[in-house]
Amino acid sequence: MQRIHAPSPSPTGDVDRIHGRLSLRKPGPVAHARHLAAAIARALPAAAVVAGVFGATTGPAYAKFDIPTGAPPSPLFGAQPFTQKMLRFEEFGLQRMTSRECRNCPPLPPPADCFSSPANQAIDTFLGQDLHPLPSRQANTRKQNPWKAKISECVRPLAYSPAEGRSPGEWFAHQRWDEFFPVVYFQTAQAGARVNGGVRDRMQRHRYQLGEFGPGGLYHNTTGLAGFDGTARGIEIRFHPNMPVQDPRALWTFDGTLPPKLLQARYGEPILFRHYNALPIDETANYGFGLHKISTHQHNGHNPGESDGGPHPFFYPGQYFDYRWPMILAGHDHINTDASDPRAATPDGFGGTIRIPGDWRETMSTHWFHDHMLDFTAQNVYKGNAAMMNIYSAIDRGNEALDCHYEDNRNVNLCLPSGTALDWGNRDYDVNLLIADKAWDQNGQLYFNIFNTDGFLGDQMTVNWLYKPYFEVRARKYRFRILNGSVSRYFKIALVDAAGNRVPVYLIANDGNIMEHAVRLLELPEQAIAERYDIIVDFSPFQEGDRLYMVNLLEHDDGAGPKDLIPLNEVLSGEYENHVEDGEYEGDPAVGKFLEFRVKAYDGIDLSMNPADYAEGKKKMIELPRPTAQELANAKHRVFEFGRSDGTDDKPWTVKTDGGPGFTADVRRLSAAPDEGTLEIWHLENGAGGGWAHPVHIHFEEGIILSRDGQPPPVWERWARKDVFRIGDGPDSSRDVTVAIRFREFPGTYVEHCHNTQHEDHAMLLRYDVENPGQIIQIPAPMPDWEGVVYEDTFTLPTYKTGSPAP
Amino acid sequence: MNMRSTTASWMAAIVFVLFAGLGRAVAAPPGSPWGAGYFPNVPLVNQDGKTLRFYDDLIKDKVVAINFIYTSCGDMCPLETAKLRQVQQMLGELVGKEIFFYSISIDPERDTPEVLKKFMEKFEVGPGWQFLTGKKEDITLLRKKLGLLGDEIEVRNLSAHRASMLLGNEATGVWMKRSPYENTKLLTNLLGHRLLNRSVVSAQGQSYAAADHRAKRYDRGEYLFRTRCAVCHTVGGGDGLGPDLLGVTDRRDPAWLARWVKEPSKMLAEKDPIAMALLAQYKDLPMPTLGLNDQEVGMVIDYLKAETLRLAQDHDEHEHHHHHHHAPGHHHPPGPDDHQGEHEHHHHVSDGQDAAGDAAVPAPDQG
Repeated sequence: MQRIHAPSPSPTGDVDRIHGRLSLRKPGPVAHARHLAAAIARALPAAAVVAGVFGATTGPAYAKFDIPTGAPPSPLFGAQPFTQKMLRFEEFGLQRMTSRECRNCPPLPPPADCFSSPANQAIDTFLGQDLHPLPSRQANTRKQNPWKAKISECVRPLAYSPAEGRSPGEWFAHQRWDEFFPVVYFQTAQAGARVNGGVRDRMQRHRYQLGEFGPGGLYHNTTGLAGFDGTARGIEIRFHPNMPVQDPRALWTFDGTLPPKLLQARYGEPILFRHYNALPIDETANYGFGLHKISTHQHNGHNPGESDGGPHPFFYPGQYFDYRWPMILAGHDHINTDASDPRAATPDGFGGTIRIPGDWRETMSTHWFHDHMLDFTAQNVYKGNAAMMNIYSAIDRGNEALDCHYEDNRNVNLCLPSGTALDWGNRDYDVNLLIADKAWDQNGQLYFNIFNTDGFLGDQMTVNWLYKPYFEVRARKYRFRILNGSVSRYFKIALVDAAGNRVPVYLIANDGNIMEHAVRLLELPEQAIAERYDIIVDFSPFQEGDRLYMVNLLEHDDGAGPKDLIPLNEVLSGEYENHVEDGEYEGDPAVGKFLEFRVKAYDGIDLSMNPADYAEGKKKMIELPRPTAQELANAKHRVFEFGRSDGTDDKPWTVKTDGGPGFTADVRRLSAAPDEGTLEIWHLENGAGGGWAHPVHIHFEEGIILSRDGQPPPVWERWARKDVFRIGDGPDSSRDVTVAIRFREFPGTYVEHCHNTQHEDHAMLLRYDVENPGQIIQIPAPMPDWEGVVYEDTFTLPTYKTGSPAP
Repeated sequence: MNMRSTTASWMAAIVFVLFAGLGRAVAAPPGSPWGAGYFPNVPLVNQDGKTLRFYDDLIKDKVVAINFIYTSCGDMCPLETAKLRQVQQMLGELVGKEIFFYSISIDPERDTPEVLKKFMEKFEVGPGWQFLTGKKEDITLLRKKLGLLGDEIEVRNLSAHRASMLLGNEATGVWMKRSPYENTKLLTNLLGHRLLNRSVVSAQGQSYAAADHRAKRYDRGEYLFRTRCAVCHTVGGGDGLGPDLLGVTDRRDPAWLARWVKEPSKMLAEKDPIAMALLAQYKDLPMPTLGLNDQEVGMVIDYLKAETLRLAQDHDEHEHHHHHHHAPGHHHPPGPDDHQGEHEHHHHVSDGQDAAGDAAVPAPDQG
C-alpha cells in the first residue's frame, strides 16, 4: 500500500490538540474508494496477477486491510461491546524470604504427558508452598530438573538436566549478592490456560477487605457475576462470556490464569523472582505459535545483566530461573551515597519512609515484565507471557493522604490518586490497563500468524485480556497506568464522554517515569509497543450513570507501522467504516471505542493532588536529571541506524552501529560497551525511509531525549525519562532521536532493539555490555540446552569502546 | 594450525547421537494451523524437469531451508546460494536425507529447468538441494504465504525481493526466518540441532571454565570479508567459487579493483576485458554487486592488502623461528601474554570458513 508520510509533529503544550489528517485523501466513503482505485491504477500492470493471487487464497487474508494478519475476521459469538466487567490485575503478592530449607517440599510437579502443563490443582498446591530450594548466588546446577524423567520419554534420554536454567559460572552469578540479598520473593509458573483456583486471594495486599476492594466497594467482586465476591477463584480464561474457554495450548501466561498479574514492589526491598517453566515439553503443543523455552525481561528495570532476561539466556520446561531485582535507584553508587536525601526514599509501612542511596530523580513507577526469547518474543508475549509491575517509592507512594507535597513543599509524597487504607500501594483509584489487539480463529482460540512479514495485527481490542469491557469508576480522580501490550500496533487514544466531547487528561508519567511537569492533553501521544503512559482523569464533573469511552484513532493496514490518524468525529459518527463486508474488513477494526467507563457516585473525599498545580511553570513532580553542559561535551557518541541494511527495501532488518555495515542480531557480537559510570549520547536513526516505524528500546537505563530531527522534543517528552524511542513516520515520531543516557552500577550484557516484536525477532537487535573501565574481559555468550548451558566466545566491533566522532 | 585441520578436527570432535524411534511421522502436529490447510500445494518443476507438489512432496514431515532467488540476479542471490552451499557442506550427508534445501525462482519465465541446472553446476551445489521453477502466480502465492512477500512491488521488481530464507520443521510446526548474512555455523546449528532436534555433544561448546573470556576483535574490512566475500573467496586458501585473493591488490590496478568490488555488474555489462576473462575462467559465475559504499569498498581492499602482507610475513618467519609480529591494520587484544594473541591471530586465516570466535556448531557424524 502506498505509504503516507506524516507532517512533523504539531506543537502542543497546555493547549487543546486536535490532529489533522495525515493522508491527502478527503474524508468519506467515496474518496475512500477513489483512493483505492488510484492505488490499483498505479499497480495496474501487475494488478491482474497480484489481485488474482491475493483474492484466490483461502480466506480474505490478503485484503486491503490485512487484519487480522493472514486470517479472516475473528468471530464474536454474539458478544457485544461493553457488556462485561473489566478484570483488575491480580497481585502476585510478595512474601518474606525464608532462610529455612524446606525439608519435604516436593519440586515442580511434572505433567501427565508430553503435551500439557501439570494438573491444575497440582500447580496451585505447588505455588502455595514456601520457596524451595533456597536461591543461590550461582545457578543451581547441582539439583536436577524434576521433569527429567518425563523429558527423557518425550524428547530424548537425558543423563543430566539442571534444576535452574540460569547459566552457570561467575559471570552469570548474581552480582553483589550479599549487598542486595533478596528480602522478599514471589514465585510463579508459566503455564497453559487454566481455571484460577484462588490461590493468590490471600496474597492481595487489600485482602479483599479494604477500600474499593472490600465489601461494598466497586472492585470487591472480581468479575461482576455471582459467586466472585472477594475472590478470583473460578475465573476461566475467556475473552468474553459468550466466547469459548481458551485451550491450554493456545494461551500461556503467569500461573496460567486470569486476571492478568501485577507485581507491587517498593524500592529498597530486593526481590527474588523465581520463574518456573511449566509449559509443555513437546514444542508442538502450542496451537502453531509460541515456544516453550522462555527468558523473562523486566522492562526497563535497573537490573544487573544476569537478571535482565535477554534473548539468549532462556530456560526449559521443568526448570526455574531466579531473577534477582535489587530495587535500587540508578546512581546508587555515585550520588547520594549516604542516603541523606529525603526524596530518595521508600515507604516503611508505618507512615514514614526509609532513605536509600541513589538519584531520586531516577525514581521509576510503571514497569512490566515479559518474555524475550530469541526468535520467539512476539509469539510468546502475544500468547500471554506479560505481567505489569508498579514500583512504589516515597514520592510515588500509592497513598494519597499521607504527608502530601501539595500541603508542604518539604513533603515528598506526590499523593497521586490511589487510596488511603494501606500505608502504600493502594490500588482503589490507581488502575493498570493492558491494551492489546488480539485475534482468534473460527473456534475462538487465540490465533497468531507466524508467517507474517512485517508485524502482526489483531482485529479485536482487548483491555486486560477482555474484549471491549466496561469499568466502573467513582466520580473523582483516577490514575491509569496504560501499557501498549501489542506486538506491532501503535495507539493514539482519546477520552470522550457519551456525547463525543473530548475529556482532558493529564499525562504524568512517560515510560513509567513520573515527569517533571504534568501535561494537559485532549489526546494521548502516539503510543508504541511497550510504551507506558500514566494519566490522571477526573471523573468528578460527571454524574452517576454517565459513560465515557477510550477511543483509538490510529489506523493500520499492516504491521509495518501506523498509517493514518482518523479524525475523532468520523470515528464516532460511523463515517469511518471498519466493519466486515464480504468476509473482510473495509477499514481498521481496532479504530474506535474499546473501553467504557461507567461513573458511580462518590461519597468519600478525594485527597489526591491536582495535576494542574504541577503543569509547566508551576510545581515540579520529579526534577529531570538533565546532563550538564560539561557532561554533554565529554560524552562519547554512538550512532545506531535501524532499518533494512544499506537503507534499501530488500535486505533484512538490521542495526548499523557507528557507520558500519548493517547487522542482524548475533548475541556473540558486542556492538557497544560503555563504561560504567559514564554518560553517552546515542543517536538513533531510522535508516529505511518511508513507511517503517521502529520503537527503539534500550535496556537497563532510561534516557533523556535531547532532540528529534534536530529540534527539541515535544512537551510530553521534554519533561520525561524514557526507554522506548519512536523513530519513523507516525504522528508523533521523527526520523532521528538523540538521547543522553547514563550507565551505572551493574556491568553486564544488555541489548538494544526495535520493540516491534516482529522486527526484533527478525533480528533488529544488538548486544551492548556495560563494562568496568579498563575491562578487557568479555562475557562469553551462553547457549542453553536441555542438558545445561555451553558457551561460545564473544567477539566485538571495532568501535565498541570508542563510538563515533561527535557530529 | 591452519583452518582446514581445525575444521576437520572439530568436525571429528562433534558427535551426533541419532535418536532413532522417535520420528515424527504425522505431518504437522494435530491442531496446528500450519499444515496441509495452510501451505499451498502448488506444482513446481525442479532442475531435472520433474514436477513436484510443494506441500506433499517438498515439505511435508521434513526439516527444510527455503529461499527465493533468480539466476540473473546481480546482487544478493549469489551470496545466498554460496552461503547455503557452505551450510550444505557442513551438514554433509544429512542434506537430502533429513534436511532438504529448496531454492525457488521468482523469475520463472527465464529460469527454466535447464537454466537452473546450469546455475547449480556453477555453484557446485550438492545433492539434496533442489532448484525449482513454476508458474509465476503460484510462486507469488508461496512467497506471500511464507511471509516473504510484503508488498506488490516485490512481485514486479525482482531486485526488490526479500532476501530472508525460511528454515523450518513442518512436522513440529516450528518455523524461523533467517538472513543470508547469518553466520554459517549458526545456520548449521539451527538446522541440524534445533530443528532436527538431534542430541549434540559438542566438544567445541565449552564449559564455563574453558570458555575464553577475551574477546577477539575484528576490523571492519575483515568483517565485511567474512560476511560477504568469504562464501566464494579465500585469501591464500586456493580458489573457491571465485579466485583466491592472495596478492590481488598487487596484481590489479587499484582503481580497477575498487570499481570491481563496488559495481561488477556494470563492468560486466560494459564488457570490461578483465571482467569477461574472469567470468569465463570461473564457470560463468558473475561477481555479484553487493551494495557496498565507497567507504566499505576501501575497508575490504585494505583488509586484502593487509592479509596478503601478513601471510607473506608469516610464511617467511615460519621458516626461521616463531616470531611475534604485527600486521598493519590488525588489532591485538592487549594483554601480558602476547603469544596468546598471536595464536588468535593465526585463527584469522581466511579460507572461506568462518574463523575463530565462532564455536560450538555440530556437524554430522562422519562415521
